[in-house]
Amino acid sequence: MNGLVLGGTYALLGIGLTLIFGLMNVVNFADGEFYTLGAYAAFATLGLAGTHFVAAVLAAIACGVALGAVCELTLLRPLRAESIDTTMLVMIGVWITMQNGELLLWGGVAKSIPHPFPTAPLVLGPVSIAPLRVFVLVLAAGLIVASYLLIHKTQLGMAMRATFQDRDTAALMGVRIGRIHTATFAFGSGLAAAAGALLGPVFLVYPSMGDLAALKAFSVVILGGLGNLPGATLGGLLLGVAEELGAGYVSSGYRDAVGFVIIILVLLLRPAGLFAKQERIG
Amino acid sequence: MATRWIVLVALVLAAIATTAGPAQSQALIKIGVIEPLSGPVAASGNYVRMGAEIARDWLNARGGVNGRKIDLVIEDNKSDPKEAASAAEKLIVRDRVPAIMGAWGSSMTLAAMPKLEEYGVPMVVETSSAASITKRGNPWIFRISPPSEMEALGLEQYVDKLGVKRADFLAVNTDWGRGAISAFGDMLKRRGAVVGAAEFMDQAATDMNAQLTKIKGTGGDTLFLTTAVEQITLVMKQAQEQRLARKIITTGGSSSPTQLVKQAGAAAEGSYHIVFFMPWFPEAMPDGKLARMFVDEWSKRGHPFEGLTEGFRGHDGIATLAEAIRVAGKDEPKAIRDALWKVSLVGVNGPIKFEKDGPAGKESGQSKPSIFVVQIKDGKVALPW
Amino acid sequence: MTRAGRVVPVLLALTLPLWLGSPYFLHVVIMAGIFGILALSLNLLLGYTGQLSLGHAAFFGIGAYTSALLTLRLEWSFWLALPGAVAASGLAGWLIGRLALKLRGAYFVLVTISFAGVIALVSVNWMDVTNGPLGLPGVPAPALGPWSLRAKSVYYYLVLVAVLLAYLVCRRLVASRIGRAFVALRENEALAESVGVDVTHYLVLAAVVSAAMAGMAGSLYAHYTRFVSPEVFLFSYTVTMVIMVVAGGKGTLAGPLVGALIFTALPEALRAVTSWQWQMLAYGVLLVALVFFLPRGIVPQLSAAIGGRRRAEPASPTPRS
Repeated sequence: MNGLVLGGTYALLGIGLTLIFGLMNVVNFADGEFYTLGAYAAFATLGLAGTHFVAAVLAAIACGVALGAVCELTLLRPLRAESIDTTMLVMIGVWITMQNGELLLWGGVAKSIPHPFPTAPLVLGPVSIAPLRVFVLVLAAGLIVASYLLIHKTQLGMAMRATFQDRDTAALMGVRIGRIHTATFAFGSGLAAAAGALLGPVFLVYPSMGDLAALKAFSVVILGGLGNLPGATLGGLLLGVAEELGAGYVSSGYRDAVGFVIIILVLLLRPAGLFAKQERIG
Repeated sequence: MATRWIVLVALVLAAIATTAGPAQSQALIKIGVIEPLSGPVAASGNYVRMGAEIARDWLNARGGVNGRKIDLVIEDNKSDPKEAASAAEKLIVRDRVPAIMGAWGSSMTLAAMPKLEEYGVPMVVETSSAASITKRGNPWIFRISPPSEMEALGLEQYVDKLGVKRADFLAVNTDWGRGAISAFGDMLKRRGAVVGAAEFMDQAATDMNAQLTKIKGTGGDTLFLTTAVEQITLVMKQAQEQRLARKIITTGGSSSPTQLVKQAGAAAEGSYHIVFFMPWFPEAMPDGKLARMFVDEWSKRGHPFEGLTEGFRGHDGIATLAEAIRVAGKDEPKAIRDALWKVSLVGVNGPIKFEKDGPAGKESGQSKPSIFVVQIKDGKVALPW
Repeated sequence: MTRAGRVVPVLLALTLPLWLGSPYFLHVVIMAGIFGILALSLNLLLGYTGQLSLGHAAFFGIGAYTSALLTLRLEWSFWLALPGAVAASGLAGWLIGRLALKLRGAYFVLVTISFAGVIALVSVNWMDVTNGPLGLPGVPAPALGPWSLRAKSVYYYLVLVAVLLAYLVCRRLVASRIGRAFVALRENEALAESVGVDVTHYLVLAAVVSAAMAGMAGSLYAHYTRFVSPEVFLFSYTVTMVIMVVAGGKGTLAGPLVGALIFTALPEALRAVTSWQWQMLAYGVLLVALVFFLPRGIVPQLSAAIGGRRRAEPASPTPRS
């Protein structure tokens, strides 16, 4: 059960990252930092301004989108002609800057985000889970659905998919590639921020919280196949559940190894990811 | 050929290196401080720094040491042993500090230790708990924090009062966590208690439900928890969700019960904590007046109350070094080291006096700090009995 | 370069410990040298075969631990432990190379990250051998007969020789047929395969040499700092290596070394210039600025800017030094 909650947020991170990676060919090392940014934004609005929980999550998304757009416009667009390693390096720089900026701004002490839910767990048969986690799961699911709708039902989404499949033809058809890139990056960052705002109250908020999350996000992206949204979603859920189950059976020190070993096995047996329909050579 | 670029860059760097002279300032006494000011344990490192700054300001307000003011040269070890060693080297060579306090984490301290021997500079260890630090035969090390064995001894007298019969352990997977498990485990076995499961969690882990499920199944009555306050909060909340009904005792002194009350709320109710400073009852400390003054100054500076349980270490470390410099009469490394064997002072934690520890002829200094137990009762920190 | 142009720098390098101001700077130079070897090794994979390995810290760590354990537990001499470390990491590299046969690009990256993650966890949990998080203190310094090489000024020469060795190996490799195969592989794998280049074989070879070199750096590190702990597997070490290679100029031979010099000196310089609160923030900002203004890497862009004879672009099909 907890695996699903974790998995839902991994899925959110994964969707954003797979789009950025698949469409823009950018290794977004700073993704974890947008996650952290979302959490701090939620902390600021909830903890300090005392607004409603859902409003805080929306505020976090807004922050992520805004900063993501700024990043894309100022840093990634001018470097678009460069190699993938160069953009990766820029994102590493952004990662270091953001994390230490947060450290400077908020201090290293972990913050707890207050939430309006009772702490007593709900008991459903053999499973006991906190109401907060249920809410997080529901919201995460909602955001995943919303993402699908955006990608598949709106014009923006269609333009994104077109650019992803065949950039040159899309350009010829009148799609503004630059705008799509900005939108994609902003969208991915917004989702990461949402994940952070959702998980912030469940755990705690501190500057380095994004590092582990980012690593998991990359794993999810590969598991699901680059650019494959349903794959990323399922991959995220799978990873979350696998970690929970795995830790129960294996010595807890090696718990994270379970995730790694699964990844290695998957890649050896199905190199294109579990759910990819076509092989994509990065 | 681009090989010339290597040469060019190297020459430029070297030129800068030779022309930049070391920083010098005669009138001030410099003391180096190495703490993790960034990275995952930045909060703790900063608390220690704040405590050290209070000590420095108090000393300077009283006229300094031997008529000279103290200057703290603070370096960040970024929670990385390699950086701790570099910082030590920079402090000793460039800043010419005659003594250092640091480096918080045991692996950071261990990494810096060879530099101390290389240059002959003493270091006061204020937080690290690994036994090996004072057993390695490094005569430049003086520790005021307790190794895990000492902590376990400090709890021994309360084991029966607490009613510990079957204990399980959940610890962070670092030298500190492992050391605590082995030290407390040995102590409990000596008292006739049974040691059940010993589970670990990764330092950055946020979900400990799997470990808690395993512990739930052992039927024990007590859970010993050794990790940083953030993880303690998470463990307590998750234990509550799982309805784990047993006594929780946290070790290590970094549990910051006040922060736990704030962040874990009802989940922390009834838990016991081993601390080395009781900022809620400063008058109960060995030097009640000093403790109360420290608490007041801390809050006057706007530092978070939660940080007191760690911040006092910074104060005591600097106070110790200052006293050694006073006794030595000069700020010269070897003199300070010899003086450290002679000092006897009372810090915020209690009396500080070094005893020999480690292989003969190359002993390190280890002080015997005071150890206290508090409990969270009715949402407040209280003395358990 | 003219005769004098070559002799002077060589003389300066050889006499460095004499004229360099302080042991602290010598420490920085030694660390830069060790990281230089690491950067060169990563460059073989990243710059020449085009495969990004984000788990390179694993090879570094394996080398460090192997060398430390061989000298501590089995009491081997450093001069045997070093090749031992090289062999161990080389073996690990071979394993990765063969495991990741079918994988390219992002998938290869992920396997390397996962591998590094598993190795890191093993080092933390395998208490009996690695002493877990307590680490291995007291790693002995190398000795040449009765003389100990512990002193910094002496260790510097050891590292200098190692760096030269690494550089020469890379240079010979790159200029040879193997090197051309690497580049062919990087530029257009399908085409390379169609003209008979055994892609798998060369990829594995690159992985082995790269890992072995990283292992050598690990051994040097272990015997210099004389303390090895699981922190050598920290992702931040890998990130630093990547920064050095890409910012310095991947696909060139000088790039990684320049990158290593600059990015080892930079954090230390920031220590001297700013107070601890701003150090890492400044580092991040400087990195972004550097990449922004010199996106191809320092060495290639500066070479091009000075209008050197040929532009040292990594995209060109012939390997350059």
